[in-house]
Amino acid sequence: MSLVDLMTMATPNLGSREKILAKLCGRELVNCFQCIKCTSGCTALKLLELKPHEIMKLVNLGFVDELASSDIIWTCVTCLKCVQRCPQKASPYHVIVALRNLAVEREAKIPEGYLKAVSQILETGLAEAYRKIVTRKMETVDRECLGLPKVSKTKENFQTVFMKAMEERP
Amino acid sequence: MTKIGVYICHCGLNIAGIVDVEKLTEYAKTLPNVAVARHYTYMCSEPGQSIIQGDVKAHMIDRVVIATCSPRMHEETFRKAVAETGLNPYLLEIVNLREHVSWAHTHEPERATEKAKDLVRMGVARARLLEPLEKRKVKVEKSVLVVGGGIAGIQSSLDLANAGFKVHLVEKSPSVGGRMAQLDKTFPTLDCSACILTPKMVDVAKHPNITLLTNAEVVDVKGFVGNYEVSILQKPRYVDAKKCVGCELCTKVCPVQIPDKYNENLTQKHAIYIYSAHAVPKIATIDPTRCLRLKTKKDVCGKCQEACEAKAIEFDQQPQTIQIKVGGVVIAVGSEVFDASRMAEFGYGRFKNVISNIEFERISDASGPTNGKIVSPTTGKAPKSIVFIQCVGSRDKRFHEYCCRVGCMVTLKQAILAREKMLEDARIYVCYIDLRSFGKGYDEFYSRARDMDIDFVAGIPSEIHCLQNGSLYFDVYDKGTSKLLEMHADLVVLGTGLVPNSDLERVSSLFHASRSADGFMLEAHPKLRPLESAAAGVFLAGACQGPKDIPDTVAQASGAAAKAIDLLSSGEIELEPLKAAVNRDLCSGCRICESICPFKAIEMKTDTGKDNENFRAEVIEAMCQGCGLCGSACPTGAIEIQQFSNPQVLTQVQAAFERAKPKGGK
Repeated sequence: MSLVDLMTMATPNLGSREKILAKLCGRELVNCFQCIKCTSGCTALKLLELKPHEIMKLVNLGFVDELASSDIIWTCVTCLKCVQRCPQKASPYHVIVALRNLAVEREAKIPEGYLKAVSQILETGLAEAYRKIVTRKMETVDRECLGLPKVSKTKENFQTVFMKAMEERP
Repeated sequence: MTKIGVYICHCGLNIAGIVDVEKLTEYAKTLPNVAVARHYTYMCSEPGQSIIQGDVKAHMIDRVVIATCSPRMHEETFRKAVAETGLNPYLLEIVNLREHVSWAHTHEPERATEKAKDLVRMGVARARLLEPLEKRKVKVEKSVLVVGGGIAGIQSSLDLANAGFKVHLVEKSPSVGGRMAQLDKTFPTLDCSACILTPKMVDVAKHPNITLLTNAEVVDVKGFVGNYEVSILQKPRYVDAKKCVGCELCTKVCPVQIPDKYNENLTQKHAIYIYSAHAVPKIATIDPTRCLRLKTKKDVCGKCQEACEAKAIEFDQQPQTIQIKVGGVVIAVGSEVFDASRMAEFGYGRFKNVISNIEFERISDASGPTNGKIVSPTTGKAPKSIVFIQCVGSRDKRFHEYCCRVGCMVTLKQAILAREKMLEDARIYVCYIDLRSFGKGYDEFYSRARDMDIDFVAGIPSEIHCLQNGSLYFDVYDKGTSKLLEMHADLVVLGTGLVPNSDLERVSSLFHASRSADGFMLEAHPKLRPLESAAAGVFLAGACQGPKDIPDTVAQASGAAAKAIDLLSSGEIELEPLKAAVNRDLCSGCRICESICPFKAIEMKTDTGKDNENFRAEVIEAMCQGCGLCGSACPTGAIEIQQFSNPQVLTQVQAAFERAKPKGGK
């Protein structure tokens, strides 16, 4: 092995790196030249143990496995600022999404909120459930009292169609 | 009977690493008319050339086929080698085995070898039909057109003029000097830009061999290397250049104010103006789009006319077209500065205290809008904190992928100037990705900047925010400390890079000189012919060929002048004999060739002398460049291009489809 992380004795896994590259579907990862613009502007920076530019470098060097099995990749709030401003079109966001997909494939631990969102979509077809809201005048309102039409319930076969579509994805 | 020698070059391992040269040589020996076939490591080397020359003498070879690299690389080399034996150099055929075979099919050696066989067979077929040709000699004009009067054009003009050549220097704006005339000091020695440039500006205006045309543009170019006919549009200044003494009385009375381009629009000038304090020629010019009288075409205002003691104002001046003949051209039109408002996140154009580096030059320059005092635009006071941000618009795939090559050194210089001019307690920061100080004395200059208490932050901010009072703040993550820093600044200077001049599209099509993918002018060869464009007789100097600093620009300008001298000094040049020929019996006089010839080398002539009948195309040999357009367009097949006649090309096509038919039926 040509590279060893002496802090953890981890070695790169180039096979995992290849998988990430394949998931990026041609988006450029290797082009990152560490200008740090992504980290300078990261919305979730203070919550991150590893900074976006560090994630880029780790994936580039092949230290993918530790990323795919850690909580770090789930903290990104997907604001897409890094995508907009990356001068090398090598956005950390796309790499993080690829890492999340790899984590799911490997049945790694996924934060509860994400699982909730998925079951929500399967049940209702919506990422966000209906709920009453409080206005600035402190009135509690829902769709009905605002005169908004009812939203139809998901059709019975929605789950089947949705799951099938997910499975057929490349 | 024709005897052909076939020579296969290994090009080290470039060809031989993929193509089986032994097999290919054996195959070549089986082709009709091939008397000898050999292979050698480097055919272009002296021993390689001697092998060919020896065979021509020993085996009475009368056609040579060399399977090697692209003819653009070594066709000339091998033509010379063949000519030394007394054989006509045009009885040589190059087969391109490197670019067309080995480099293109690195993973398929066997099929590459088969393709090489096909190409060699085609080359041999064509070689049989080659005819001897003689080079043409034409007289050339010993004068040069220099387009652009920045430091590149000035240096080229002076070198050419000192060598005894007549020079026509055409500058678009009312004064020479270009970008360099806008700069304060120059790196890495900090000499004042005006002090070293102004004497040269005066020299070009005074030199007896230089005709200086300012406020003028090239509008048409005809002809070819050695004999260009150029039309130049002299735009009116509305001021008699011979009478104006540059006293500036007129500019004081003009009631119209317009943005001052020389000061990057930071100040206003008048509709009648003198371009800059060091303008050469120092003559007033009226902007016809803004002058009340010229704009309205009515008998109004006229204050400048009243004020002018020399009676130099001429409202009825008309544009003039000047025709000149030149042998060569130096293109030196320079570059422009990236428009940072395209990069929304840094707020340039929205936040007054965010400026570009060229604006900083004007602010720092003693002749600039603040008389050299560095101020924050909103307060007009010296900033307490300045931040420079690098690589704005360059090294960025959204805008320009290339490195601007000057930004790092410009910022180091401006940071040093700021430190020298500002109060001791002011903070100066540079946010960078990589700091490139590669030139002579440049890294020492970087070290000097660090010594002067200038702080370097390895990271680029994502966006800049502006408070209501105009002061700026932003976050930047520093690689060196792994800290997210919030920076506050009264002035942010963006390291905007150089981008291709917006005139380049027009200039490149005027001179048939192509541009590279980055938009700059394309050199004929990136390493071995960096001063020439692909168009013969058209040379490149300065930042029009790629972003450049002053030392590199001046070096290239002198080089381009030397290349022009080399081309024209003997008074005549040799032209390739490849040219079009018209078969008069087949020509129907349709004039298609006349309309498409880019060199205006086709003339329609009649036998009878009457104007309306029997027109036939005729090629003006001195003008024809042998490009072949007319030959492929001619509907009756009346035009053939020498060395590329129909039989010569078609026999090659036939050979392409004819799989190996070895002698003796192996």
